[in-house]
Amino acid sequence: MIEKPIKDYDKEVKNCSCSYCGNNCDDITYLLKNDEIVGVRHACRIGASKIINDQDQRLLSPMIRNDEGILEETTWDVALDKTARLLHNSTRPVLYGWGETSVEAIKKGIKIAEITGSVIDNQSTICHGTSIQAFQNVGHPVMTLGEVKNRADVIVYVGTNPMDDHPRHLSRYTTFPEGFFRRNGRQDRTIITLDPKYTNTAKVSDKWIQFNMDEDYLLFNALRMLLKGEELEEKEVAGVSTQQLEELIKIMKNAEYGALFFGLGVSQTLAKQKNVDVLIQLIEDLNRYSKWSMLPMRGFFNVSGFNIALTSETGYPYGVDFSRGYPRFMVGETTTIDLLNRREPDFFMAVSADPGVQFPGYTIKHLVNIPTIQVDTHWGPYTELSDIVLPSTRVGVETEGTAYRMDSIPLFMKKVIDKPKNCHSDEWILTELYKRIEQLKQEDE
Amino acid sequence: MKAINLVMTRKNSIAIEFDNILPELLFDKSLTQIQDSIIYMGNKQLPLSEFFEVEIEGDCQNSEDCLINIEGDLSRVKRIGFAMNSGKIIANSNVDFHVGALMTGGHITVNGDAESYAGREMTGGTLEIKGNVKEFCGSSYAGEWRGMSGGQIIIHGNVGKQLADFMLDGKIHIRGNCDILAGVHMSGGFIQIDGNVTQWIGGQMKKGIIVLNGKIDSMLPGFVFQEIVHNPLINGQYFIGKYRLYSGDRGVNGKGQIWIKE
Ligand code: SF4
Repeated sequence: MIEKPIKDYDKEVKNCSCSYCGNNCDDITYLLKNDEIVGVRHACRIGASKIINDQDQRLLSPMIRNDEGILEETTWDVALDKTARLLHNSTRPVLYGWGETSVEAIKKGIKIAEITGSVIDNQSTICHGTSIQAFQNVGHPVMTLGEVKNRADVIVYVGTNPMDDHPRHLSRYTTFPEGFFRRNGRQDRTIITLDPKYTNTAKVSDKWIQFNMDEDYLLFNALRMLLKGEELEEKEVAGVSTQQLEELIKIMKNAEYGALFFGLGVSQTLAKQKNVDVLIQLIEDLNRYSKWSMLPMRGFFNVSGFNIALTSETGYPYGVDFSRGYPRFMVGETTTIDLLNRREPDFFMAVSADPGVQFPGYTIKHLVNIPTIQVDTHWGPYTELSDIVLPSTRVGVETEGTAYRMDSIPLFMKKVIDKPKNCHSDEWILTELYKRIEQLKQEDE
Repeated sequence: MKAINLVMTRKNSIAIEFDNILPELLFDKSLTQIQDSIIYMGNKQLPLSEFFEVEIEGDCQNSEDCLINIEGDLSRVKRIGFAMNSGKIIANSNVDFHVGALMTGGHITVNGDAESYAGREMTGGTLEIKGNVKEFCGSSYAGEWRGMSGGQIIIHGNVGKQLADFMLDGKIHIRGNCDILAGVHMSGGFIQIDGNVTQWIGGQMKKGIIVLNGKIDSMLPGFVFQEIVHNPLINGQYFIGKYRLYSGDRGVNGKGQIWIKE
């Protein structure tokens, strides 16, 4: 079915942001009629559907679950007072989420975590946390997406499928656009995908190299050896013939500017952090012959912003535990999934995230037994688990704020339309909570 | 000899932290002072007596002669013997995270299993675990380039992933099997594994020695077979049998040795 272009609008707002994936496309045009979004230009299918269906399933009033287990509308004061008291009285509180809100709100969240002795964690705990650990251990040859667009002639995607997850990655930054040194766009670039599956990204690539699942670590080690000019004793490594690997290394070595992007297919397979660790070292080695950099394909539009803000405040990127009054971080110990699996938390607040969708079943079971708070814009599985619901606003649509793109570039996201009357921004909600907790602490003294 | 006997009376799902329960901190304390020692539970601080019955036997002049004997289900007690420098701790149960981590001296015995981070970054002393151990045993903490740099770890059971990550010195003896990535980034020290290793031993290893008495499916491409040696003398000890010597990791111009029994 071909959709007709939208003509029935009375206002166009240009240079808006899409608040969905880590591409943070900031060239979006919103089409408004009577101050409501009726259409969108330049967004991909995911971004467009998220923007246009914004009002669908919206949370519009604060709610508290009553004794019959039904969520009932209440006032902001009642909902905030109750949330503050529960958090203040808890022993092992967890504040989770933050990937889809602004850095301004995240900073308020970190302050709350600090004064309440909470664990504060974000979606990195289930995605690129392992990559960040590797960056902190062995460094990270960085690049911006602008550099890639203007300079890169060889692009390698490993264990990631941006055609489906970050749909405009290829069209906006890596493959199709005309760049300063890549005047002919696609024709000036070689695209290679390494993936166990024949993904949609593999389909549009010049080369697809299929390797065995969970053997990334072996594969990258073998590539390092070949780059050093060493011979491999084996005819095949990780399911790839040595000849194919030699050809790949030749292309990578001869690149004028190489850019490697990797996804959860690297950071969450068997060797996890160590996959990324050895991949970083491969990229470092390649810089003896050419210019190479790398980036993880970050999922939510500000998942990276949380890591940056938390690292600047505490030195640790995620899973930070303030229970002893100073920040601590231990994978498996202070990370959300592990804490829930161990049945430790006695309070759980999710801000702009839906653990009901993201977490494993066994983990979610514990949420049924403890006080749970939702700060979010839309009704979702986590709403069904929540005891208190605090409805918030969309950053980049109803609220302005700052977010960090996957390449750690901060972008300002402007407000386009007014918020629903009884909703408030995450930043406002967290500021109010902070005030109330401070008050309770003073009463205790 | 002074023995401080602790018997657990209350277990929570929220783990408690035991950093203050060390021979060097308690050897000269009275019963009441020991009962009042601070235990951390989440964001709360509580006295030891909330969780343990305390009893003292004998007396001592220094921490070397002090033994802390802990009974009960300790599977939610973290940091037993954390940064300990002398004396002895015996934990008669499974224990939680960080047992013996950062220890510089003394002796810890765990009569059960241990969670992850056992003996991490230890520089001295002996940590003996009679059961299995989870991940990152004898390794470095996140973001740190230096793992275990002294002392001895003896594990009677199996160990999880990333044993001795970034190890610099010291000795580890694993009597059971070992999961992936043992000795990764190792630049010194000695590891003996009596059981089997899943795969990927010694990646990015610069120096140090690993002896494997069990089986391994395949070696990383950075390791080169050198020779077969009968009854080799390794790290001052004779190993009986035929051993294949590999060196590597060539990826980092490493000169580590991996000896595998045929
Ligand atoms: S690629 Fe991502 S940021 Fe860009 S429009 Fe699509 S969903 Fe939005």
